[in-house]
Amino acid sequence: MDSPVSEIHLRNPSDYKRWRNFLESLDIHNFSDKEVQKIDTTLAIFSGDDLVATGSLAGNTLKYIGVCNKDVVSGSRFNTIVSALVSREFQQGIFHLFVFTKIKYSASFQHVGFNELAHTDDAAVLEDGSPDVNDYLNDIPKIADQKGKKIGSIVMNANPFTSGHRFLVEQAAKQCDLVYVFVVNTDASLFSTSERFYLVKRGTADLKNVIVVNGGDYMVSYVTFPAYFLASSKDAIIYQTTMDARIFKNIIAKGLNIDVRFIGTEPLSRTTSIYNQVLQRQLPPEVEVDEIERQTTDGNYPITATAVRRDLKDNELEEIKKLVPLSTFDFIKANQAELTKRIKEGMNINGN
Amino acid sequence: MEIKSTAVAGTLESSDIQIMISKGSSDIQIDLESDVKKEFGKQINQVISSTLQKMGITAAKVKAVDKGALDCVIKARTIAAAQRATKTTDKPAWEVL
Repeated sequence: MDSPVSEIHLRNPSDYKRWRNFLESLDIHNFSDKEVQKIDTTLAIFSGDDLVATGSLAGNTLKYIGVCNKDVVSGSRFNTIVSALVSREFQQGIFHLFVFTKIKYSASFQHVGFNELAHTDDAAVLEDGSPDVNDYLNDIPKIADQKGKKIGSIVMNANPFTSGHRFLVEQAAKQCDLVYVFVVNTDASLFSTSERFYLVKRGTADLKNVIVVNGGDYMVSYVTFPAYFLASSKDAIIYQTTMDARIFKNIIAKGLNIDVRFIGTEPLSRTTSIYNQVLQRQLPPEVEVDEIERQTTDGNYPITATAVRRDLKDNELEEIKKLVPLSTFDFIKANQAELTKRIKEGMNINGN
Repeated sequence: MEIKSTAVAGTLESSDIQIMISKGSSDIQIDLESDVKKEFGKQINQVISSTLQKMGITAAKVKAVDKGALDCVIKARTIAAAQRATKTTDKPAWEVL
């Protein structure tokens, strides 16, 4: 007879050991501290003394779900544990959920109401609840006869918006009837999401065929592409960027009739350069990828947001002036004290 | 009655149904997932929408994941979710039953 669903505590070494052994027996092996520390809640079902089902929550994402179906109707424990996890999220007011899972479990999640966003050969990402991706797409402004027009797109973190970003948007705007600029939504950068969004909007305000949109949970977010924000292995980056590219191609580009994705050449950041390669492999032929040579300063040094952040740390306002449009410069000047304080408090400025 | 926030009632266990109600634009839209959709899909949708209509809800987005619930269960879960979504749980809608 199974116990009711109960909470277990991974900080407790004996609970942790039991939990980990159980998951390892089900072929789940990623127990890096980075992943495990993000877990908010872990639920479990026991049969006698044996752990027979478990699942965890990290923010709006279901993780580490493992179920043993020995001696019971297949699927019943899975439904019980997922049901308990989902209602925990709902109680906290989180109504939009994600799950990252092996491809073989995708069907089980679809069976309890999740919709698959994309899959690769070995993994799948699914969502449930509301607002879902269709609501997201419906809310994005569109133009008349979008299908017949040439629609471009750029995804940027813009931490902060530089002259290099501005150049990329200008090039795209020249070639297309409409350009969507998606600003990364995840708030894990020196400039906050609302600041980044504001600077992109200000910096492109004069370009009439550019629409700036929040990238939501679907573009370079913690859900699809955590490696963008956390140092990670090359395999992890390739695997995550492939998923991100497929969501973009199958759902975003299809829903908005996007024909081209513009990217800037990436000489410096390893993560972004792998991401660019993966985009070029994954998006065509449905979505063309146009890689545009990155702008350089007079001294022939590539313009990057990383350089702006370093100058900010070193208090080199005059240097920043050479790298960013006036709107960004004004913002930095007005908020220099606050930004410097964030750096001093340990905000990482060398990543993305 | 107006939907004020997203709300849920029910579980994913056998013989139950999980109903999530959120704001909708013009009418009642139901997205149903069920093993017996082919046989009873129409009936399930009918129970949900007539229950909502009786409560005076004309625009809503409903997501229902059915695990073989009987009509009375579907009705009860729909009422619970709708009352949570309209923030009227302090005044149970007995007459709808």
